[in-house]
Amino acid sequence: MVARHRGIVLAGAALAAALPAAAHVASATARRAPETSVGISAREFRLAAYRDSAPRGFLRFNLANYGEDVHNLVVRDADGREISRSREVRSGQRTTLRVRLAAGRYRLVCDLADHELRGMRASIRVTRASRG
Amino acid sequence: MSAAGSVSAVTPVTDVGAEPVAEAARRRRARTRRRPGGTADWTEAHVRRLFWRAGFGATPVEARRWARRGRAATIDFVVDGPRGGARLRGPAPRVEGRPLDPVNEWGHDVLWWLDRMVRSTHPLREKLTLFWHDHFATADQDTPLMLSQNRLLRRHALGSFRALLGDVTRDPAMQLFLSLAGSTKDAPNENFARELMELFTLGGGYSERDVREASRALTGYVTDWSERDGVSIRYEADEHDDGVKRVLGRAGRFGVDDVLDLVCAHPRHAPFLVTKLWELFVATPPSRATVRSLAATYRGSGLQVEPVVREILDHPVLYRRLDAPDLVKSPVVYVAGALRTTGSYVSDGYPTWLLAQMGQELFRPPSVAGWDGGAAWMSSNTMRQRFTLANYVVGYGRPRVRKGAYPASLTPAEAFLRAYRAVGEPQISRRTQRALTRLAANWFDDIDRRWRDEADWRADALQMTLRHLLIAGPDSQLC
Repeated sequence: MVARHRGIVLAGAALAAALPAAAHVASATARRAPETSVGISAREFRLAAYRDSAPRGFLRFNLANYGEDVHNLVVRDADGREISRSREVRSGQRTTLRVRLAAGRYRLVCDLADHELRGMRASIRVTRASRG
Repeated sequence: MSAAGSVSAVTPVTDVGAEPVAEAARRRRARTRRRPGGTADWTEAHVRRLFWRAGFGATPVEARRWARRGRAATIDFVVDGPRGGARLRGPAPRVEGRPLDPVNEWGHDVLWWLDRMVRSTHPLREKLTLFWHDHFATADQDTPLMLSQNRLLRRHALGSFRALLGDVTRDPAMQLFLSLAGSTKDAPNENFARELMELFTLGGGYSERDVREASRALTGYVTDWSERDGVSIRYEADEHDDGVKRVLGRAGRFGVDDVLDLVCAHPRHAPFLVTKLWELFVATPPSRATVRSLAATYRGSGLQVEPVVREILDHPVLYRRLDAPDLVKSPVVYVAGALRTTGSYVSDGYPTWLLAQMGQELFRPPSVAGWDGGAAWMSSNTMRQRFTLANYVVGYGRPRVRKGAYPASLTPAEAFLRAYRAVGEPQISRRTQRALTRLAANWFDDIDRRWRDEADWRADALQMTLRHLLIAGPDSQLC
């Protein structure tokens, strides 16, 4: 009798085991400070930011590489000082760069090879209004 | 000779507009014939079949209501949508406490569209938007462009194919994907011209020369790029080849719209398109007579999609073997349907990940040919993800099991019925019902009879298992 129900018990166990994954997704970043997402696309040879402004605080740059070459994302302040950089991203891959920014204007570039010179640059204005 | 205006590639993303009320009213007036509308031969099973094929399933309330109203009224409602226009019903999704940000947040584009499928009061429009997304498959373009294309497909979903084709041809996402943007008289690119004939309108009956000549006629679109405004596409007459071309047996100084008119007027176009539409709704291939009839309807209406869809949804073949569904639900239809019919909503990012694992990521078709579909959806790995979806719905959707709410003293039939009602009374075979009731009958067999009444905790697990099997079982994979 026990053997007959082993399959059912295993199914129940599998059922229970699968659920925490969903719970994890639901609360993945619940503890993080408020942040603003900024979609970024990279391809040869342009960099597009889907927002031109964001409130000061944490920004999450979601970089997608639609091109064929490897690209990255570097954030620089108005004086050209590097604030942060992402890892290099291969064709078809994505990465996230999370950075805290004060109000001001920032340059976004891919600084691999001569990509910046060839047009892979964008900018974003960070405003004084903070995210609630 | 056609000209094409400048098109702005980056547009602000707002909610996709519902179909204008005037358009719905026009289509109601345009109806030319009424079908027998009696209720005697129109059951809840008919309604469920129709709602799954034309949308994402029927709730128990919908099945009962439309079974009472009869065939004609139901088909009219499904095709036309509710009076006053489509809207979204139920709570708007919030992920991690915030509204969706489909432009900037990965996967939110998928959730945004999935939510429309779950909550729209006009699911057929979403189903056809999905069909056109597969038909005019586009990928690897900026998210704002893809969302803009999605609005275009929804706007034309049931309207004129020629108008849809014209707008798709000028759509920045499509132009960039198939290299129509940048195709000039000095360097014509054949990608779009080839797919225009092979995948979008004809499926055959053209030559390599037709493709080459058509690509010359389609030249003239150039891309502008600036840091401030992003990418934009405009038509530049100087870049267009204004020489004489010979396309599909006709010669002239053809331009963009001339080529689109030529392919739409070709004898192969109507049978090609109505067959593709048929295959969206019906697993059995159409007979020659059916194709002839649908093609005549299509041509007679001036290449309107809606009359063809209406004829297919009214076709007796669609309602054959109501007890034996034979159309495989695509992953998107399966997920949206499981949420919709169980009264659940998009409430976190999990469905995005699941759809990718199941093999159908919205906005990311695998190639210009779209998804393979049919039995190709059912590999051992993708099926496993469908089971995971059932776990997710049972764990977090409306059918979630409340601890301690199910006494062990329920009879097997009662236990089954509770689970069946909790998941939206899906269509299942008698065989499945017997198997699940037998499972409920044997569930406590390994517990001594003296302890059965205190085994309520095992009743929770039984409910979870029954609901999971109802959502993920073989019956639920087909419609």
